[in-house]
Amino acid sequence: MTAPPAPHVRSGAIAEVAGAAPLAYRDVALTTRPDRLLQLAVQAGEVVAAIGDENGGVEQLGRLALGLAAPASGTVEVFGLRIAELSYYDLLVFRRRVGYLPQGDGLLQNLSLRDNVALPVRFATDHRLREVDAKVAQLIEDFRLRAIAGLRPAQANEEDRRRAAAARAIALNPKLVVLELPFVGLTGRAAKDLLERLSRTEDGGRRTVLLTSRDLTPSVRELVTRTVRVVDGVAVEDTK
Amino acid sequence: MLRVLINQIRFTALQAIFLVTFLAAILAFLVISQSIRQLGRFGAIDNLGTIMVVAVIRELGPLLTALIVVSRSGTAIAAEMATNRVMGEVTALEAMGIDPYIYLVLPRMLGAIVSVATLMVVFDAVALTSGFVAAATTGMSLNRYTGIVLKTLSAGDVWLTLAKGVFFGAAVALFCSYHGLAVKAGPTEIPQAVTRGVVATIVAIFIMSAVFVVIAS
Repeated sequence: MTAPPAPHVRSGAIAEVAGAAPLAYRDVALTTRPDRLLQLAVQAGEVVAAIGDENGGVEQLGRLALGLAAPASGTVEVFGLRIAELSYYDLLVFRRRVGYLPQGDGLLQNLSLRDNVALPVRFATDHRLREVDAKVAQLIEDFRLRAIAGLRPAQANEEDRRRAAAARAIALNPKLVVLELPFVGLTGRAAKDLLERLSRTEDGGRRTVLLTSRDLTPSVRELVTRTVRVVDGVAVEDTK
Repeated sequence: MLRVLINQIRFTALQAIFLVTFLAAILAFLVISQSIRQLGRFGAIDNLGTIMVVAVIRELGPLLTALIVVSRSGTAIAAEMATNRVMGEVTALEAMGIDPYIYLVLPRMLGAIVSVATLMVVFDAVALTSGFVAAATTGMSLNRYTGIVLKTLSAGDVWLTLAKGVFFGAAVALFCSYHGLAVKAGPTEIPQAVTRGVVATIVAIFIMSAVFVVIAS
């Protein structure tokens, strides 16, 4: 199948800061302790795994990166921009530059898996209907969803739902993807397969990925370029 | 979005037509059959048109139609919005750069406006027909009934009905969506959100009705 044309994503006119890290947390308070501030930068092409438990604050990283929550102190920069300072609509369109796989899956229950995958392409690109269909068909194929694409999320199993949510997360071919606890309930092989697809851009390059997790299976560790352990709101480099 | 709009109209208007028709027929029949006897005793049968137009077409019709829509579709909208919020779907939309108000609320609002306005027209048509049936049981001819009603019914009443359809329909969708999307605690809050949405909509509809009376007079 020939690849459909790259979508022209309507992601606003806000310019990214040249050379800036795709994602950076600077002095961000994840806990109530003022002396424990997070410093973490995810460089272009890196696949960074932030692991930790609930109390450490690791679960906040995804929402902070998307501007869905504002840090109590410090700043979160996405492509060099302080995301919490953008206006509601600027933030909304800016988020189209970042793929996001929320905890669980965040799929819309009244849509089929195919329509869930198609949602960002329909709303955020200038594609015509035929081009949208081609793009969605490609994603469905890539994530091996063809046989179950017509099912509603509640009719699909956890792995299929996660793959559909992952396909949706990269539907606009973002340079940065943020994954919240993406491997919960998946086998090691399924988790590795998912991360492999998510960390590859449409042209075969490496996509920047930040994933949060309680722990990593050895198969996933193979694909991760850097692991940080978030303990009490502070990131500690982990040896691979 | 178009699919949501079409589904909203199908559920809110098409599936409610039977109920609206039934209630309009019963209401108009009762009002006219009661009124015609009292008016006949005082020789004021020509005032039948005033009762039909002022009481049924201008006031009770729009109110009853809106209440039917609130009880069927308003509850559904509030519950659906609250579920979307609880399931993290609203956050997922925001994360994809899709405005949840445009994606979730707008098609429901347009659907409710079209549906309520259409149902009000249906209500009026059925009420006028049913009113004639009630009048005919006392021997009134169609010509006389039509003449009496048309003496009071004006183009302004049609516009008023449509205006009420727009405002009441918007109120149903907006209030119910607002209270549904305001859910924070979890699934146990969904029934409370539905109740809050319905109560707020009913209050708003009655207030708007009063405002329309002031404006129309």
